[in-house]
Order: sequence, then C-alpha cells, then structure tokens
Amino acid sequence: MSAALRTLIVDDEELARRVLREFLAAHADVEIVGEAANGFEAVRVASELDPDLLFLDIQMPKLDGFEVLELLDRAPAVVFVTAFDEHAIRAFEVHAVDYLLKPVSPERLGQALSRVRERRGAAPATPLAQLVAAARPDAPRPVERLLVRDGAKVHVIQAEGLDYAVARDDYVELFADGRSFLKHQTLADLEAQLDRARFVRIHRSYLVNVERIAKIEPYAKDSRVAVLKDGRELPMSRAGYARIRDRF
Amino acid sequence: MHPVLTRPTWLALYLGAWIPVAFLLGLVLAYLAGVPVPEALAVAPGLALVLAFVCLSALYPARALPLENARRLPFLVTHLVAAVFSTSLWLALGRGWVAVLERGMGWAGAGQRFREVVPGLFLLGILFYALASALHYLGIAWSASREAEKRALELQVLAREAELRALRAQIDPHFLFNSLNSISALTGSDAPAARRMCLELGDFLRRTIELGARDRIPLSEELDLCEGYLRVEQIRFGPRLKVERAVKTAALETAVPPLLLQPLIENAVRHGIAHRVDGGTIRIEADRRGSRLHIAVQNPRDPEAKRRAGAGLGLANVAGRLRTLFGGEARLETSDSGDSYRVLLDLPAPEVP
Repeated sequence: MSAALRTLIVDDEELARRVLREFLAAHADVEIVGEAANGFEAVRVASELDPDLLFLDIQMPKLDGFEVLELLDRAPAVVFVTAFDEHAIRAFEVHAVDYLLKPVSPERLGQALSRVRERRGAAPATPLAQLVAAARPDAPRPVERLLVRDGAKVHVIQAEGLDYAVARDDYVELFADGRSFLKHQTLADLEAQLDRARFVRIHRSYLVNVERIAKIEPYAKDSRVAVLKDGRELPMSRAGYARIRDRF
Repeated sequence: MHPVLTRPTWLALYLGAWIPVAFLLGLVLAYLAGVPVPEALAVAPGLALVLAFVCLSALYPARALPLENARRLPFLVTHLVAAVFSTSLWLALGRGWVAVLERGMGWAGAGQRFREVVPGLFLLGILFYALASALHYLGIAWSASREAEKRALELQVLAREAELRALRAQIDPHFLFNSLNSISALTGSDAPAARRMCLELGDFLRRTIELGARDRIPLSEELDLCEGYLRVEQIRFGPRLKVERAVKTAALETAVPPLLLQPLIENAVRHGIAHRVDGGTIRIEADRRGSRLHIAVQNPRDPEAKRRAGAGLGLANVAGRLRTLFGGEARLETSDSGDSYRVLLDLPAPEVP
C-alpha cells in the first residue's frame, strides 16, 4: 500500500467539513492533516502542511477556492466541493481531479479518491498559478482584485487601487496605496488580467493605471516620461507613447 | 338598470339637464301653440320629466343592436318601431298629466288644446328619441373602449406580477443544496438535529409556496417566514449568523405583498454574513409611521470581498415588484458604508382587511 494521502479540508461551514471527515474516515489511506474555514486560513495551512490532497469549497470568505489555488506554490491534488455546478468548467480548466456536488454522497467521494490515487505520481508538472492564469483569459470580466502572498500572509489589492506595475525578472512589483508588493507573475500575464481600458503598457517593463498619469513630458530624443499625480516619473517607450496616444 | 339610475348624483345631474328643455317646451306651447302661459308652464315640466325617462329606454335597443355588423334594414325598422312606441307612450302619459291638471286646476279645454299639439309633439318625441339613441351609442362605444383599456392594463399588471412572483418563488439552489448537505452531516453526528433541520426546511419551503400564491399578507406572516429561513441558515452558519430585531407592534398588521422581505434577508446572509470569517449580525427593522411602512435590513459586509455573480439580482427583483405593485408610491433605497450594507423599503401601509 502506498503512503497515506495527507489531506486538507477547506470549507467555511463546520457541518460541511464534518460530513467530509465522516466519509473520509472510511478510507484507511486518507489522513486528515488539517482544516481551514476561509481562504486566508487555507493558504496559510496549505503552505505550512503541504498536503497531498485538498478538498476545496469555492465560495468562502476572503478568498474563493480558485484564488486559494492561485496563491499556492506547490499544487496538491484538488477536489472541489460546492453546492452548485456553475463553476464546473473552470474547475477542470485548473486541472482539478474531481468536482463534487453538495450534498456529497460517500460513493461519489470514493470515486474521487480513486481518481486521486490513479493520478498520484503523475502530478501535473505545470505550476498551478500558471494553470489558473491560463484559465483566466476565458473569464469574461477583468479581475477586480489582485492577490499577493507574503509568506503565510495574503495581501488583497483592489485593481483600481493599483498605481503601476514594474517587471522584475520572474516577478512583478505592484505599487498601490503607497506600498509595493512582489508577485510571482509576468507583466504580460498581469496585463491580460486587468481592465484594458484602465491599464496601459507604456514600456516593456511598465504597466500603468492611466488615471494616475498627470502629464507626459519629453525626456530625450525619441523618449518621454509619464509624470504621475504623486510626482513619480515612469519611462515611456515610443510604442508605449503610441498606445497612450491611440487611447485619447 | 340604466347606468344613470345607479347613482343619485348622476340622476340629479341628468334631470337637471332637462330643466332648460322643460322651460323651452313651455315657451313653445305658450307662444307657438297658443296655450295660456300658466297652463303651458304646468304642462311642460310633466312632459319633460316623462320624456327624460322615456329617452333612457333608448339604451336597450342600442345595446341589442350593436353598430358594428348591423344590417341596415332591420336596424332602421327596429329603431323606428321603438321610436314610435316610446313617443306614443310619452304622449299617452302626457295626456294623463294634462287630464289631471284639467280636473285639478279647473282649466277647461286643456285636453282639447293638448290634442291639437299632439302631431307637433309626436315629431318632437321622435327627434328626441333619435338624439337619445345616438348619445347611447356614443356612451356604449366610450365605455367599451374604457373597459378594454382597463382590462389590458389589468392583464399587464397581472402578467408582470405573476412573472415576478414566479421569479421569487424560485428557491435559491445554493441554499437548498447547502442545507441538504448540512442535514447529511448532522445525520451521522446528531440525528435529532438533522430531523429538526428537515422539518424547518420543509416548513420554510411549504410556506414560501403558500405565501407566494397570495396577493397580500400581514407583515407578521412574512416575518415568520424570514424567521424560518434564518433558523435553517443558523444551523448552517452556526454562531457566525446572529440576528437582531427591532419590529414595532404597529407594523405587524400591515398588509404587504408576499416574499418582499425574505429575499432581502437572503441577500444579507449570502452577500454579507457568508463573506465574513466571523459572520456578524443582521438587523431587521419594521415600523409604521402614519400611512407608511418602513422596513430596513442591515448587514455587515467585507469591503474587500469579490462581488459575486448574481449580486443585486434579488434587489432588482424586489424593486421591480414594488414598481409594478405601487408605481411611484413605494421606494427601495440602499446605502453602503463599506463594511455595512443597508436596504430600506418605504411603502404604503394599508391595514390587513
């Protein structure tokens, strides 16, 4: 018999966690290592315990199930558990192993566990964050908020509160509310997530919230700077200037 | 019965309109037919009064023979017969009135003088009858068009109300499935609690259907329904869901459309409490001030929460129903302070009949 499945249950309802615990008790290879009752807690506990399997509710306080996944470094096998199947397609886009509907039946849960065992060892090589990002462009609306993990802590940045973002190798540095945050993401990915009417790529390494721009000034031959309302200056490429000019 | 006779004010107005006719008739009798003035002024009102009622009888042939699809010959013959008959009746009654005056006032020869003017009066009677027929046709057409308009409007209101009620009666599937999952969880660990929740849920569903089929219910019944809903949700959310009530006794007996308040409470749970780690307190207020009913539902919310798909749909439904049912007489206002959300309803407050 293979090693135990170290399992984390995430649901904001105590009764929903209870019924999963009860059903999972019948499976000897499942070891429940923890529980979480909201999105932040889920991210913290999952990073600490590094479980093999995650039972994940979708609608929860703080972060929804998809956002929790986006913030995890290492992808456990995920089984979504939710009341309504409106998210089913998205769930498979992020390569969830299975998708259980409430009320959960023990037989259906058994099937999900069989799938988890089959997939074990053949875990997807792609980091989850990228899978989640890949599922994003299909989302009809731009994201309303950005999530940044800082150790076990999660920062929530409202999209309209973002001043600008700068590419830093594999990361982007987000400037908002007078602070800056580092997020493991490419600037192109970030640009694709945000509202195109509000955020414009003014330079290969700079994405700016156009509402923060006070004026545009010539800098050297063929180049300009965008002066923000708080006085900060961002470099602007010729292509970037063309994109801004097209917009107004 | 003729519509003019159904209300004393209408009858008084109608007869009032005949006073000038009576006066003119008197003048005609006195100056064209040579009837002595006092006699003419006594005979004319009686004749006019009888004619007034005879003209009302023109309604019945007009009703029996609608203008549309009428064939010309039967139409004319019927009306001619009716006119001759009505006029003859008028003159016979008029003759009786003159006989009474002749004997009572001692006006010798009054009957003879009346016989002399009968041909002229006969023509006049036919004329009045024709006029009365025309007016009745006009009246029938007018009331038919008003009736059609009213029915169309009623149908429209009924259709919209039925549509909105059907929308409302759709029980939120999240609520249903989550509740069933809670029951499933309790079955293993706390069977009596599972049974209690089954009963609460059944009771809530049944009452939603019952209340939804009624036009108006006392606010107290709507509040009972909300309490049932909250009892089910309290089993699901445990200590995260708390409720505070400030309901004035005066408001309880107000008649309200069913399922107006429950969606607001459901919203407060779904978009307020469910988003908060520690939940919070929903506050329900109801008060009656004069002829107005004020209802408020307030809930804490997470200002950083993502807006869920479908948010605002419940509110839009309630606002739509208020518009349909009360026109401009009812208001729905919302206020959002970031970490707290409040919905206020202000609507007319009739007593329960």
